[in-house]
Amino acid sequence: MAALWSRKREAAADEALIRSLYEEHGRALLAYATRLTGDRAAAEDVVQETLVRAWRHPDALVNGKGSVRGWLLTVARNIVTDRIRAKAARPQEVAETPTTPPVQRDHADSVVDSMVVLEAMDRLSSDHRDVLMEIYFRGRSVTEAAEALGVPPGTVKSRSHYALRALRETFVGQQVALKGVAG
Amino acid sequence: MTTNHGPTNHGPTNHGPTNHGPTNHGPTNHDPQLLGAYVLGVLDEREVRAVEDHLASCARCRAELAELRVMEDAMGDVPAEALLDGPPEGGDLLLQRTLRQVRSERAGQVRRRQVGIGLVAAAVVAVVLGGGFAVGRGTAPDVSAVQTSTPPAPPAGTMLGSATDPETGARMTVQVKPAAGWVRVNASVAGIAQNEKCKLFVVAKDGSRQEAGSWLVSATGEQDGTNLDGSALIAPGDVAAIEVRNFEGEQIVTVPV
Repeated sequence: MAALWSRKREAAADEALIRSLYEEHGRALLAYATRLTGDRAAAEDVVQETLVRAWRHPDALVNGKGSVRGWLLTVARNIVTDRIRAKAARPQEVAETPTTPPVQRDHADSVVDSMVVLEAMDRLSSDHRDVLMEIYFRGRSVTEAAEALGVPPGTVKSRSHYALRALRETFVGQQVALKGVAG
Repeated sequence: MTTNHGPTNHGPTNHGPTNHGPTNHGPTNHDPQLLGAYVLGVLDEREVRAVEDHLASCARCRAELAELRVMEDAMGDVPAEALLDGPPEGGDLLLQRTLRQVRSERAGQVRRRQVGIGLVAAAVVAVVLGGGFAVGRGTAPDVSAVQTSTPPAPPAGTMLGSATDPETGARMTVQVKPAAGWVRVNASVAGIAQNEKCKLFVVAKDGSRQEAGSWLVSATGEQDGTNLDGSALIAPGDVAAIEVRNFEGEQIVTVPV
């Protein structure tokens, strides 16, 4: 009876874990996998496999949102890479549409770095994070970013500087600690 | 901080007199706050020139710049998709599929766990039976081989040997593991009478020998054998045999390896 109860509870916990990962990171994962595979159906398989692996390794998910996402993206990338390698015996089969760059720069270090950067970004103050998002990831100019954020251009410049500095502080602290996690 | 929406406001021009000459060692504008925007590539041409002029003469800013560049590089490794939030667009079919797989794997895990318990029970039975078996063998009059526990896969270069001395009836199984210029020896010795004082030797190819240990045979030692660990300074490649002698120097058993 107790065993049955705890099994039910485990099942509910499984479901909650998968759901929350899907709700929070599903979009990022699917978009990333779609770009890497160039194929929505294949990308969905990759995302499914990624989430299942996360469920099998709950210990990998204890950090802040940033590193969880970094971990998930790293796993997704590894799955894609493995599948491409598996097909390598028949190179003609790796379909690549012109808009789909092949998986490039498969350095473990850069994967670890990107996990660390995500983690570090998550720890920035929202002011700092927003300014980097606008300028770096959305490619906006100082004027555009200033408008979007409602601050003077001079503030955008100085904030982007302090944001980079803060990112670097966290990054250096985290980098060593996280090496090897990506496995 | 949150005021001033003026989109046409073209930035602060509080840079004082602009510097032109790149070779100018005069006072350029030390404004490290601009380095972030510089690294991110969002300064206008005039500002870029000013920063670069200043960098040429300021080691501190150059060092700062190098650090920020590392960071900018690292950000380049972050895929743009990593910054999307929320669930995928277009229904949760994918979620349902994933949940189904997890449910079925969970069910499989429970089954495996039950099988696991069965295996443990079987192992317990085997140990009990095995113990009985060993005792039975130990008391049997004619034992040609001592059942010692099977060692886990020995390291490369390990030498194994086993022998029974036709005269004394003593039996020994040895394992010789190479170390850096010397050897570790594990020996299981049986068939020697209680109270015999024994020495274990490693014999080299040139006939010389090094003692690797000594012991007194106990009652259980006589019945079930004695297991010994020793070591000797003989190069692994030079080992010819492992040997047991009593304190009078009489040979009890030798195992060539």
